[in-house]
Order: sequence, then structure tokens, then C-alpha cells
Amino acid sequence: MLTRRAATLLAASTALPRFAIAQADQRPSITIAVQRIANSNTFDNLREASNVGERTAQMFNERLIEIDWRGDLSQKPGLATAWRRTDEKTVEVTLREGVRFHNGDTLTAEDVAARFSPAGMFGDSRPTVDGKTLPHAFSAIVGQGSKELPKEIPPVARRLWPGLDRVEIVDARTVRFHNATPDVTLEGRMAALGSEIVSRRAYGEASTWLEYARKPIGTGPYAIREFKPDTTLQMDAHDDYWGGRPPVKSIRLVEVPEASSRINGLLSGEYHFACDIPPDQIAGIERNRNFEVLGGVIQNHRLTSFDKFHPQLADPRVRLAMAHAVDRQVIVDALWAGRTRVPKGLQWEFFGDMFIADWNTPEYNPARARELLKAAGYKGDPIPYRLLNNYYVNQVPTSQVLVEMWKQVGINVAIEMKESFVQLRDRTLPRGVRDWSSGATLNDPVGSLVSNFGPNGAAQQAREYANDEFSKLCVLLETSADRALRKKAFARMLQIAEREDPAYIMLHQAATFTAKRRDIKWKALPAYQMDFGPGNFAL
Amino acid sequence: MLRFVALRVGRALLTITLVVTFAFVVLRLSGDPALMIMSPDAPPEALAAFRKAWGLDDPIWLQYLKYFTAILQGELGQSFRDGRPAIQLVAERIPATLQLTLPALALKVGLGIPAGIYAALHRNSAIDRAVMTFAVAGFTVPSFVLGLLLVLVFAVQLGWLPSGGQESWRSVILPVISMGLGGAGILARFTRSAMLEVLGQPYIRTASAKGVPWHQVVRLHALPNAAIPTVTIVGFMVGTLMAGAVVVESVFSWPGVGRLMVVAVSNRDLAVVQCILLLVSATMVTSNLIVDLLYGVLDPRLRGTAPAGGGH
Repeated sequence: MLTRRAATLLAASTALPRFAIAQADQRPSITIAVQRIANSNTFDNLREASNVGERTAQMFNERLIEIDWRGDLSQKPGLATAWRRTDEKTVEVTLREGVRFHNGDTLTAEDVAARFSPAGMFGDSRPTVDGKTLPHAFSAIVGQGSKELPKEIPPVARRLWPGLDRVEIVDARTVRFHNATPDVTLEGRMAALGSEIVSRRAYGEASTWLEYARKPIGTGPYAIREFKPDTTLQMDAHDDYWGGRPPVKSIRLVEVPEASSRINGLLSGEYHFACDIPPDQIAGIERNRNFEVLGGVIQNHRLTSFDKFHPQLADPRVRLAMAHAVDRQVIVDALWAGRTRVPKGLQWEFFGDMFIADWNTPEYNPARARELLKAAGYKGDPIPYRLLNNYYVNQVPTSQVLVEMWKQVGINVAIEMKESFVQLRDRTLPRGVRDWSSGATLNDPVGSLVSNFGPNGAAQQAREYANDEFSKLCVLLETSADRALRKKAFARMLQIAEREDPAYIMLHQAATFTAKRRDIKWKALPAYQMDFGPGNFAL
Repeated sequence: MLRFVALRVGRALLTITLVVTFAFVVLRLSGDPALMIMSPDAPPEALAAFRKAWGLDDPIWLQYLKYFTAILQGELGQSFRDGRPAIQLVAERIPATLQLTLPALALKVGLGIPAGIYAALHRNSAIDRAVMTFAVAGFTVPSFVLGLLLVLVFAVQLGWLPSGGQESWRSVILPVISMGLGGAGILARFTRSAMLEVLGQPYIRTASAKGVPWHQVVRLHALPNAAIPTVTIVGFMVGTLMAGAVVVESVFSWPGVGRLMVVAVSNRDLAVVQCILLLVSATMVTSNLIVDLLYGVLDPRLRGTAPAGGGH
């Protein structure tokens, strides 16, 4: 006969698992309002190599080596637990044990080798550290109806991995990266955007490249459940995550193009986070004690870059004059309320011993600008300035300030509003100036100056810039193991790209601001990336 | 009557044909689709392959013929950007748009017409002036300004309603009011003017003089005769059901046809743009056709060949 005590115990024992499940489900689900989820509507970061792509990448994907964004920005173990140089061209990597992909598979050396293979990213391209430019077309059309790698992927992959020859499987947990040339930055490249590891089986089973890229199966703390292009991205916690139980049950990114709508949605309680907050809105949001705005400068600089082949810009003195005409501090103070700063050219202290401390980008000097224009014989002919509508925070007001500053010294720049990056780079009509940003994807100039303006940087691939000496120095930077020589080469490259034959005008360090409910414990990283991993969220 | 109907159906089909042709011409005139989609930096062989795959290497007349034949067969092409049939992408967004535009239409009609009738029947009274003041304010304030104001008050300050998104039925309220109030103002003004004109007609005086109760005079004689201009405006509003919410959808982050159109135009996604244009024109032409046929029902004198009102 069942006693009352036995019945109570039985009831308790049957209730316990359910209670545990209920506890598991008590994690919050959050909604994040973003200006844009993805430019290409895909999540392979060789295709979505963008600021908005960086924001989501590490929610679902991971790399062998990671940057310690919560700490001192040093390299730390990711999917690899250890790595060691066997020579100047080779790095041996030991993989972490027990890492599960979102589809339940265990990470093996085969997954890593498949990612860094011709089918995974390189196509039929060969290592390109020879100063030659691979043709690249930034296209609005991506991998439809075919498993074939989209044509724009290999040139971008070679930008990131110019000299990688092959990845050798040593055993199930060990791989060896073989480079064709010496490269002191191989470890940094493993930690850079674009080197994410995805499931080899899932990649193979996707019926098209687009199907894979819309829902990459990675190892990150969250797995993509559903992506509605231009609308929402829904992710669920990956409870087998090797780094611990994700603190959020599900994350929903909602695309809200208007900043005012993002802010209103936050204040009215629909969104837990609102991204890309313009600095002039911060005080207004924080007047409400229930909300706060986090963020600040990140490892990214805002530039305005040239098409040096435009007739009015062919003379480098005109480009240098444009750089001297810009009062950067005014932009920082007026549009950013002093929340960012003017950097020392296209570099970051994060570069360590490669940082050129005594370098300064051309100073504000309108008199010098006028002299240069006179010497160059510039007659006031118009220079087109192609512009996207606030893809970068404060982009349009910054461009309007720039146009007025250029006008002050006699340079006639006409803004042309564009709607997409494809239109921004269209060569069928004259291109002059356009906005850009450059991120420190790794702690070395090869991740920014070389990656953006080198032989296989987007500027040269789009035929906006070319300079033989600069390109040769890029090759040296990518292949030399002599640190003193590399630093000297980098200093010379800054001299060329910012003064002698300007490729761009440095504007200011980028900053990003995220508004959130004050009762959410969360820290912003010095990057576009948002971290909802274990230890960085509590409600 | 048959000739009346046939003429208007024929005219509607001609209008759709012209819109489809116009869309084809304008989208080709705005640049080479291959260069816009693939980028001018694409290798020549990739551009050639793209043109061949999408039939862009055919002579222009053949492209038009194929395009037109495909439309007749219901084949509206594939989205360059998404890879799926354009019609599928558009169809997915139609319910969301109708969730806003149908209630907004009901609000316009349900508020605007009674207000106009009431104002006309109480001409020059304080209520008439108040109704007209609200009507003018309603259609002069742009819907996005009204939308932002409503969000500030009802979402941010009072916290009664969501500021955007498509999460629940409550999300519909603010965008519907933003779109509906302006249209209600327009309808109120048109209805009032039409009623005032009819109320001044001899047959109204005659009916009153014969001792017909005033509510019957209004219901049986004034309202049917004042209906034609009102029906014209309502028909126009029905025609904008598919594309009338572009701005409001952006303000309220509503994933409807309007936002799809903005994204498709930005990315030169020709098939999607063409599909939306066809859908919008078909809706507009169909609503105009219905209005034309309604004219014949409302006013037997218009069942001849002469178009009623014209130019709507």
C-alpha cells in the first residue's frame, strides 16, 4: 500500500526533472534592434566581411584562436587549445576536445582542413604573396542554385590568407598550417574575421552555397534557428557549448533602419538592446534612469578613401590638400561630443611593437592645402563624393562637414547619394571620394593597411588605388620575419598612403554605442561584436 | 451595359500592359542589370555568363517578348539577391501589408464618410468647423510625422502600445491610425463637398416640399447622388492597399511589401521590383475598374459609353 510519505516522495521525484527543465527555461529571451543584420544576407564572413557581419559572427561561429576582447586584446585559445611554430612558415595547432557543432557533430581536424581548403574558401586560387591583384567583383548576387563557391570568395580569402598553401591533418586533434612564404602573422589570421570554423558535414549537406551561408553550422554559444532576410535573425542557445551554458535562451535581432524607431522601441520596452545609437541621442536616452548607453571607441577607424584615377585626383597634391583641409577635432567635438578621438594614422596601439608612435596623419592646415592646390593647378572642377545614407553612424553629417571644409580651401566636392556598396564602387561613372572604415582584424598592419589598400585589398581589387612601392612593401610585410624591417616598411607605407600618394584621409577612430535596459548586466566590447557568451549577461 | 463593361475591362488591361512595358523600359534605361548586380569589376566572362543566364544578351525586343510571355504565364522571375521566385518573396509580404492597409481603409471609410455627412448636414455649425479643422489637419500632417508623434505619446510616454514590429494585434494600432487619419480627413472633405452640392439640388427641395421625412431625403436622395466622388476617392484608396504603406512600414519596422520594395530598389533586384510594380498596378487598375462599374450601378445615366468623372 502506498503510504502518504511514499506518495509525497514519488511526487517529488517525478516533479524534480520537470522543475529542472522549468529552471532551464527561465533564461531570458532578448530582442536586439539593429540598423542592419547583414549587407549580403549571408553569414559567411568571407562574404559578409563587414561591420554588421562582425556584430553577429561570434554569436554562432568561432575561430581557432580568439582575441581577448573582454581583457587586454591579446590572443587566447578558441577552438584551439595550443599552437606552436615549427618554422617561419608553419604553425601546428592542437584542437580543443569535446567541442560540439550545432548539429551535434564533434569538431575534428577534418572540419578545420575543409574550411581552409579550395572548396571551403580558396577555389582555384594559389598563394598570392607576389604583389599581384586577384580580380574581385563585389556582387549583389551570391551562390544561388549551386554548391559552387561564389566567385568573390577566393579573392577575399586570399586577402586574409595570402600565402596559405594547405592545412595538413596530423591526427584527429592536430592540424598544421603550411604557408608558402614566411608569415609572422599566421596566428593573428586564425583569429581574424573570416577564419570561422564551420561543420564540414553541414557544409557538404547544404544543397546550395546560399543555403549553407544563411545558416552556417558553427560551434558558437548560439545556433541560428531562422533568418528572414532584411527582417529578423533568430538564434537559440547552444546548450552543448564547450564554454558553458549560454545565459540567454534565445536572441532575436530585428532590423530597424531608423535610429529613432530603435530608440523608441527600447524606451517602450520592446527591445532589450538598441544598437548604432547616434552620439547626440545618448543624453536623451539616459535621462530615463531605466536605460543606459554603453560603448565607445573600437578597433576600427573611419576613413574617406580616394579613387586616385579620377582626373581631378590624379595629382597626389590635390589628395593631400584634401587631407590638410579637414579639421578632424571639430568633427570629433561637434558630431561625436568628444566621445572618440583622432588617431595616429591607420594603426592602433593594439599593434604592439609595430605601432609607429611618432607618426601623425596630415594635420589641419588650410594654408598648406591652398598652396598644394595652387601647385597642382586645380581649377575647381567637381569631384564626386559617393555616399550611403548613414551606413556608418554620423556618416551624412560628417560628409556635409567635410564638403564645407573642402569648400573653404577651394575644393569643389559634390555629394552623390547611393543605395548600396555595388553602386558605391560602380566604375561605369567617375568615382572620386567615398566613405569607408578599416578595422584591426588582427594585431598587425597586414590586417588593415595591407588588407584594405594592398595588392589584394578591396581598394586595389576595385581599381581605386595602385602604387608600386606600396605594393612591394605590402609583400615584404606579409612575407618577412624580420620585425625591424617590417616596422620600417610599415612606417614607409604610412608615409606613402597618407602623404606622398594618399589613398585615404583618416577621419577619426570609430565608436559604437549600444543602448540597453539598465537592469541588464552586460558589457560592451571595444569592437562591433556583441558578446552574449557565458559570463557577460545577467538579468 | 455589356459594352460599358467590355470597354472598361479593355481599358484596364491596356493600362496594365502599359505599366508592365513602362517598368521594363525604365528598369533597362536605369543601367545594365549585369553591371549593377555583378559589379563593373566582375570578369568579362562572369558578366557574359550572367547576361546569358538571365537572357540579357538577347536583342531588346526579344527580351521584351520573353518578359511579357513569362508574365502572361505567371512567371515573374527570380530574385537576384535571394534566389527564390520573386512572386514568392512578394506573396510572403502581402499579408503583413494587408494587416495594416485593410484596417486603415476601414478607419478612413468608417470615420471619414460619416464625419463628412454629419458636417454637411450641420453646415457652418461649430461641429462642422471642428470636423473640417480635424480633416485638414489629418491630411496635411504626413503619416510618418503623425506616426512618430503617436509613438512618442502612446509607446514611449504612456507605454500602452508597442512602438513597432509585428508581435501582436496591438502592434497594428499605431500604424493603422497613422495611415487612417489622413485618409479619413480627405474622405470627410470630399463627402462634405459632395453632400453640400447635392443638398442644393432642386430634387432635394422637391422631396422636402412633398413632405418626405428629412432622414429619408438624405438616405434615399442625397446620399446615392453624393456617392460618386466619394466612391472615386475610396477606389483610389483601395488601389493603394499594396503600396500605400512604404513610409509607415519603415517608421514602424513592419516587414511588408513597402519595405521589400525599398530594399529591392536599393539592390536593383529587378525581378522583385517588377513583380511589386505589377502587383501595385493590377490592384490600382482593378479598383478603378470596380469604381467604373459602380458608377454604372449608382447612376444609370452613365451606362452609356461616356466615362464618368474621367481621369480618376
